[in-house]
Amino acid sequence: MRRSVGRGWIDRAFWLACALCAACVGVLLAGIAGAILWRGLPVLRPGFLTAVSSEAGASGGVRDEIVGTLILITTALLVSAPLATGVALVHAVYLRSLPARRRLLVALYTANALPSILFGIAGMVVFSRFFGWGKSWLAGGLLLGLMILPTLSVALIERLRSLPRKYREAASALGLTRAQTVWSVLLPQCAGGLLSGALLGLARAAGETAPILFAAAVFSGAGLPSGLRDSPVAALPYHIFVLAQDSFDPSVESHLWGAACVLVGLVLGLSLLALPARLRAHEEAQNA
Amino acid sequence: MLDVIRRDSEESDPAAAPAVLAARNLTVSTGGRALLRAVGLDVAPGSVLGLIGPSGAGKTTLLRCLNRLIDLVPDLTVTGDVLFHGAPMYGGGGRRMDVDSLRARIGMIFQQPVVFPGSIADNVLFGVRHTARLPRRERPERLESALREAALWPEVEHRLGDAAASLSVGQQQRLCLARALANQPEVLLLDEPTSSLDPRSTEAIEELVLRLRERHTPVTIVLVTHNLRQARRLADSLACLAVRERAGEIVEQGECGELLSRPRSPELIHFLSKGAPL
Repeated sequence: MRRSVGRGWIDRAFWLACALCAACVGVLLAGIAGAILWRGLPVLRPGFLTAVSSEAGASGGVRDEIVGTLILITTALLVSAPLATGVALVHAVYLRSLPARRRLLVALYTANALPSILFGIAGMVVFSRFFGWGKSWLAGGLLLGLMILPTLSVALIERLRSLPRKYREAASALGLTRAQTVWSVLLPQCAGGLLSGALLGLARAAGETAPILFAAAVFSGAGLPSGLRDSPVAALPYHIFVLAQDSFDPSVESHLWGAACVLVGLVLGLSLLALPARLRAHEEAQNA
Repeated sequence: MLDVIRRDSEESDPAAAPAVLAARNLTVSTGGRALLRAVGLDVAPGSVLGLIGPSGAGKTTLLRCLNRLIDLVPDLTVTGDVLFHGAPMYGGGGRRMDVDSLRARIGMIFQQPVVFPGSIADNVLFGVRHTARLPRRERPERLESALREAALWPEVEHRLGDAAASLSVGQQQRLCLARALANQPEVLLLDEPTSSLDPRSTEAIEELVLRLRERHTPVTIVLVTHNLRQARRLADSLACLAVRERAGEIVEQGECGELLSRPRSPELIHFLSKGAPL
């Protein structure tokens, strides 16, 4: 049968529009990554990763900033993972009313859309002033944890939703309590969702400056934290933010791109580290 | 003496014994619309009750009411009651009943096998590990006896650590049966357990049902099936469900041979005439 000319053109135009959209995204990502690598790679010597920043960022390296960022995102993960798991289980297992479930989801999406500067201001008011912590790594970790909590919760809720109901039914039919079903059936199968949500959230947290601006980060003079109060950390995004303001100095600019390169590498490294576990979880879910 | 005589008569005629499971005026509805209406039935101890009828008549819904698995479906209302050894599951004190313990005593097998990620051995002992507090040293024995009962032992005895998902669908269904049997249930609810299986696996499961009925402590079985040949072979009694006034009802029930050879209700006559295999 002959295909109508008009339908063929529409089909081709639609394909072209989709391909253009995909190409735009690809070119944009490749352009940003290329620019960062092009300017940052020449700075990346082993000493850059192990040396402390000096001369207001014009020389030295980013050791403290890497350590500080890792401390912040680890704390954020430790805070947000159990909370997000609890929120997701309340939504998927314990809330029976559909309107209540919908309201919880709307609240999570709304929290996800909150500007990060609000977290920074809230952190300054609550942790720095009200609790009297000053600038503290714990405040930064808590703020980043709260900031990624909605992303992590939604990822976990989606994973729980995608689990076939047959698993819960089979476990219940054997006489398992809800808690036993959660621990033995649901959570093991949601590890992939927790991991991917955590990565999405941590990737965002690792690059955020605003939440740690007032409550956790300093530009220089911060080594390993020695306590909870008045114990700030250096962080890569904050370092990049400060260097960007002095980027007219060529040596500062090269260090700026080097720090950006390290930050991208950190995020990419986290994703690659978790990839085997995600693939395994995905494979098990498909085989089940 | 009287007790002994009564027990003897109960053993020789299961229908005379008090019902293990009994539905009384059981109605399931959603949003004011009845899915299942005023169901009443008795399941004698050690017997096999077959539930037959066209699709959409509420057989699976009824089955899920018998171990309160229906509780997992949101927005369904159950009225009337199901009695387990005379104790109400829903009404009266039923709301305070330990539903999880109840489900451990009333096992269920679904239409499609549901195996958990993990090994064959883990799957068989999945329920026991959580509900029975079986000492670790007794687990291998329970594992073997459950797999033998489900006629799966010869096929898996050398690969108990393999992933359960690596078994064929028929073997997975027998694994699910072994898992349910490892819990040592008093009642087994089978929801079209052979509908997705090859003839060999179907035969194995039918043989298993016959063996369970004949063993020293017989398991009471409620079997949903579309296969009338299977119903005739396995069931002692049958209940036919059909849709009347937009809700499922039991339109006829009785002894299996009698019901299939002399159907009275128009719905059952129509169902039998549709060519379901006899």
